[in-house]
Amino acid sequence: MREDSTARQLLNEPPVAGAASEGGYANLPVTKAPGWHGMIAWDALLNGMATGLFMAAAVSELAAPAVFTEVAKLAYPVALVLLLVDLGLLVSDLGDSLRFHHMLRVFKPGSPMSVGTWCLTIFSLPLTAAAALSVLAELGWDFEWARILAVIVGLLPAFGSAAYKGVLLSTNAQPGWKDARWLGGYLTNSALLIGCAELLLLSAALGQMQATAILRTAFILLLVLNLIPLGLLFANLQPTHARLYTREEQWRVGVLIFAAGTLIPLGLTLLSGSLLSVFGSLIFLLLESWLVRFVYVKIPHTSPLEIRTGK
Amino acid sequence: MASREKQLSALPQTSDPPRGRLSQLVGRLTYPFLRGEAPKPRPATGFYTDTTVCIGCKACEVACKQWNQLPSDGFNWSGNSYDNTTELSATSWRHVKFIEQFSDEKSSQGISLAIVPNEPDLNRWLMMSDHCKHCLAAPCHQACPTGAIIQNEFENVYIQADICNGCSCCVAACPFGVITRSDMGGHSHKCTLCYDRQRDGLEPACAKACPTDSIHFGPIDELRERARKRVQELHRRGVTQAYLYGDAPSQTYSELHSFYLLVDRPSVYGLPDDPFNPWLHMMGDYARSIAGGLAAIAALLVVVLLSRS
Repeated sequence: MREDSTARQLLNEPPVAGAASEGGYANLPVTKAPGWHGMIAWDALLNGMATGLFMAAAVSELAAPAVFTEVAKLAYPVALVLLLVDLGLLVSDLGDSLRFHHMLRVFKPGSPMSVGTWCLTIFSLPLTAAAALSVLAELGWDFEWARILAVIVGLLPAFGSAAYKGVLLSTNAQPGWKDARWLGGYLTNSALLIGCAELLLLSAALGQMQATAILRTAFILLLVLNLIPLGLLFANLQPTHARLYTREEQWRVGVLIFAAGTLIPLGLTLLSGSLLSVFGSLIFLLLESWLVRFVYVKIPHTSPLEIRTGK
Repeated sequence: MASREKQLSALPQTSDPPRGRLSQLVGRLTYPFLRGEAPKPRPATGFYTDTTVCIGCKACEVACKQWNQLPSDGFNWSGNSYDNTTELSATSWRHVKFIEQFSDEKSSQGISLAIVPNEPDLNRWLMMSDHCKHCLAAPCHQACPTGAIIQNEFENVYIQADICNGCSCCVAACPFGVITRSDMGGHSHKCTLCYDRQRDGLEPACAKACPTDSIHFGPIDELRERARKRVQELHRRGVTQAYLYGDAPSQTYSELHSFYLLVDRPSVYGLPDDPFNPWLHMMGDYARSIAGGLAAIAALLVVVLLSRS
């Protein structure tokens, strides 16, 4: 048995590096980068904005209906608009947009894209119902039980819609992406953070004092919490970034992400709960969120540093 | 020939294509959901490519282009030996690679084409006809959300182009850089292992055209046996660097139904040294994704519940 496995090993043992001549294709990239560019960064951001707003509104409303029902009724239609824009980007990024529905002919749990497509499709139904019933309630036709049911039904597919994106962009063979073990953790956490910021803005706009006060505290907590998956993601990507960017470039982007995404929103939110400062916080948070996604999506399309600098 | 074509065109069609706009739209929406009967499984087939006898004639590339009616990619000087195909693409399903390994001192003394063992500054050309590896557990197959990529009855990985919607998940998933999305149709393409020829009992066009029998086609078990014997023979003759790439599964990747006999490290041939199936990370990635979301929901809930009163 041992002899057999030794013989097999010999048959499959490549020469040791250096013993044979180098050259050939050794320094060329093996994988092909998919045609996923800036639109995917926007898609990932809008996905987080839509699913995060729905989940933040749903969780808050279900936990404290007396405080959050008013703002949640505005949040669902806004989330629906964001989701429709996101779906538009998702469809138009396909090689053949008229064949989007082909993804609904099978359900493959092993394919993150299939899981995501089904989650988004299912999520769109209760979200549309919740949004429509919220608008109807404002017009005087109040079907409160149906609206709450739609919100409860939508929670799980909303979570799935937020969770699949990171797995899709990390479960592949692309350099850098394949090492991003915490991308999913970051994106899902970030979706809730963005959703909380959006809900905070809506409650401030509606003048909901109690909801605004609660959401301010939650937003600050989530801002700090989000630093954990973000830090872990950057630790995953550090070797790749070191190959692609100079130390100075890495520091510049890192400081920009930390300042725009955490320090400024934190400072503005601590300073006051006014509509203007909440709006400023959200804008800076969205800028950081887009930047993280954009830098990530660019990885397979960026030439290594030694090629760009000619070293 | 012409009369045969006339006869064929005169045969009644089994169904007319939809005529009106509405029926065209309905047809377009519904046809992907229609399924025929799956063919019965046949013995698994594949390629075994013995790179030690490849002469770089590119007959396989030409045969592949001709049989599959693939358009030209234009003619571009790559500056890399005789390799002007440069890579596998949506329209080049075969790619002959040229590796020139010459040390400066030796080249002035003349070039030896023999594969000499234990020679540190070896002068040689390595050539390899590259193509889809038809992995047993293919990441492209796992990634495809439409079901366009299937394992056919010969256990070959096959793309149904009329189902593919060009999402590029397969392109991102392939660790060998094989699959490419076409700019023309927007769909992914790669070697079919001449599925149409196999169904008619013919060997793939590239294997048929190969003048040195570098490309072997047949039942996968027979190919493995043949390849192992060849490696042992090469070892006996002193070519101790010879080994098989992809004929057996590794800890991180399944066996390939198109495997190679190589005499240098895989990366020299443009192959990954240790191919890794990205799906090995998937469950962990989902777990981290869910944990990240649940942590945020829990934090939000705690604040809301503590503050509502």
